[in-house]
Amino acid sequence: MATRSTASAAKTTGTSARTTPSTPDAPALRDAVVVGGNRIPFSRAGKKYADASNQEMFTAALEGLVARFGLQGERLGEVVGGAVLKHSRDFNLIRECVLGSSLSPQTPAYDLQQACATGLEAAIAVSNKIRLGQIESGIAGGTDTVSDAPIAVSEGLRRALLDASHAKTLQQRLKALAKVRPGDLKPLSPATDEPRTGLSMGEHQAITTARWGITREAQDEIALASHKNLAKAWEAGFFDDLVTPFRGLTRDDNLRADTSMEKLAKLKPVFGKHLATADVPAEPTMTAGNSTPLTDGASAVLLASREWAENHDLPVLARFVDAETAAVDFVHGHEGLLMAPVHAVPRLLARNGLTLDDIDLFEIHEAFASTVLTTLAAWEDDEYCRTELGLDGALGKVDRSKVNVNGSSLAAGHPFAATGGRILASAAKLVSQRAAETGKPVRALISVCAAGGLGATAIIESA
Amino acid sequence: MTAVVTATDGGDLDVETLPALPGLGGLYARGAASSGRIAAGRALPAIPGIGGGPAASEGVIALPRVAYRVAGVETARMGEHLRDYQRLLHEPGSDSLPAGFLHVLAFPLATAVMVRGDFPLPLLGMVHLANDVSLTRPVVLGERLEVRAWAENLRPHRRGVQVDLVAEVRVEDPSAAEPVLAWRGVSTYLAKGFQVPDAPGAAQGSSGAVSGTGSGAEGDREPEGAWVPPLPTGRWVLPAGTGRAYGAISGDRNPIHMSTLSAKAFGFPRAIAHGMYTAARALAEVGPARGATYRWTVEFARPVLLPGTVDVAITPVDATEGALDGAKPPGFTYLGWNSGRRTRHFTGTVTPL
Repeated sequence: MATRSTASAAKTTGTSARTTPSTPDAPALRDAVVVGGNRIPFSRAGKKYADASNQEMFTAALEGLVARFGLQGERLGEVVGGAVLKHSRDFNLIRECVLGSSLSPQTPAYDLQQACATGLEAAIAVSNKIRLGQIESGIAGGTDTVSDAPIAVSEGLRRALLDASHAKTLQQRLKALAKVRPGDLKPLSPATDEPRTGLSMGEHQAITTARWGITREAQDEIALASHKNLAKAWEAGFFDDLVTPFRGLTRDDNLRADTSMEKLAKLKPVFGKHLATADVPAEPTMTAGNSTPLTDGASAVLLASREWAENHDLPVLARFVDAETAAVDFVHGHEGLLMAPVHAVPRLLARNGLTLDDIDLFEIHEAFASTVLTTLAAWEDDEYCRTELGLDGALGKVDRSKVNVNGSSLAAGHPFAATGGRILASAAKLVSQRAAETGKPVRALISVCAAGGLGATAIIESA
Repeated sequence: MTAVVTATDGGDLDVETLPALPGLGGLYARGAASSGRIAAGRALPAIPGIGGGPAASEGVIALPRVAYRVAGVETARMGEHLRDYQRLLHEPGSDSLPAGFLHVLAFPLATAVMVRGDFPLPLLGMVHLANDVSLTRPVVLGERLEVRAWAENLRPHRRGVQVDLVAEVRVEDPSAAEPVLAWRGVSTYLAKGFQVPDAPGAAQGSSGAVSGTGSGAEGDREPEGAWVPPLPTGRWVLPAGTGRAYGAISGDRNPIHMSTLSAKAFGFPRAIAHGMYTAARALAEVGPARGATYRWTVEFARPVLLPGTVDVAITPVDATEGALDGAKPPGFTYLGWNSGRRTRHFTGTVTPL
């Protein structure tokens, strides 16, 4: 047996040899576990990391993880990650970061991108390879900078330059360049608008918020809890082994420990200002306080097989149980843009024989405070769960005290591709801590919504 | 040729075959000249010879009993034009010609009818009220087409007269004896201040227009804020050059679309978007659910001033409201409006056939 089959798998090979003589049976799935994570503090766009590149930030997060777990010179199975706003020169961003780190240069890497779900999708990819026995260890993560975003030339200038470069004679080249108009010289910065609808993510969520009748006060409460919980976690030293300082920043600089309902109530609405209809309240509810700010940052999570962790004398925080991604039909308004995790979770729970009651901790990415609220409201809605999710009735009610107990994106910020790694590492540490305290297994559900009507969800449990 | 065209309002039209599809640039110059002549004829009806056309001088206006026809229209070399159209209107990069592209193709022939000396209404200043297009057979790049166009159904409108410009596109299918009808478009225009007697059985008002929205650029206007919009599914941010961009693709360089200055000459504060740009973009944004053949309608209300932002709702018709047999999906409705002023720009439907 030339493969890496375990002894038990090798034993069963003989029985199937008649039908597939050259292929041994797939080995039984084994566990993928979270060893630990590391990120740099997240920073509001245009501040501490204003001139930091994605490569610099991810290398910093990676190098901190390497240092924490003594991985210098180690050849890992792979490093997977990505950035949502990416320069074309960064075609091998993660591999370049590996080469710039103290990991063995023999560590493969690839880039992956799924909007805000990039980091979690990377972890799903790595853990699947570990579970299949294709790799023993891997790092998943992501990085994003709004401050150092790529600037593109206009379509007119780009076409003219391409035509000129394809031209064979000087005359053809000049003819191509003569098509450039003054207006073409204006640079284009990346937009957060959905390409198919022209609505920004905030406007999309404002529509979903209005449809579900989520109040301003409920959103501000979520925002307040996020800041208070994150501040408390920092004070308690929760992030001491999850964060490495970078460029003089030691904490997430979006965190407002002293915010209050009064302060949040003073902010002016920024999204959904013209949405009032016959069925929808006139007052817009989404403000800069209950929406995530544009942020720069990077995160990385170390995953491995139990054997690899044991052989390297490393801790095991959590088992990566299973994951489910989903997408929704939002283009013509059938479903809200950020509602895909609502669809993914019931499928994920059913496959694992679980219900919402079996989940001890919920990590619901706070793209907006109302994303959390519309997600929870949808699961409680009998009619919606029957017609849209194909369930027999409401999925269930989530105890709000189990949601984002150490804060989430509203307080920490949300550097798109870095959010999945932040949440996974924090959740893994949380279940590990909680299990140690209670002596019982602890399970966490992670839910990340993303542009394009996408969503990624996962279950982890104390190992 | 043997072709005879029978107008929807009855009566055969003489078919006049042109060698090729006319260019729109020259047509607009002629249209401007004849518009001036028609205006002069109405202002000075007593002076013989000024009006020129029989319609104006006789007081009762009538449409020319003629249909234009162009055969052998090659689409094989329209690849670049199609690509530019697809990029501007957000159509997918396919070799099938969208219904809006076929409109662009047939529009010059319909315009040629409108600039004839005996066409009784002025090309410039007419208000585009509505369009009703059916694509009944997919048309693919490389097929040879026959295009026909004529005017029919002159009828009263409360602010003047309205007329239908009908265009048809047939595919010269080598396996068929006759070219096969693939596309038919009816464009309804309003000429303000003109009058025709009520024909027995003729429809009142614009064809199928919703009461209060059927009026075009300068027609009756509902008061601002009286109407409550639905939730949008999209938002179009249209730059100032939108009219010039669609003008370049469609050949329709009517001055009201080209610049603030030229639009002001016709009473608009700024350039306005082509109605067909907005309708064709809504058609594109319905996406693959429209199917390979479909009916596409639009009614125009207030014009879209450029630059401008249009909120749109492009939504599937609730299946329970459509045909109960479920044989065909019931299609989409679309609506465009100004969210700040709460006024409608256009409304329409896209229905798979």
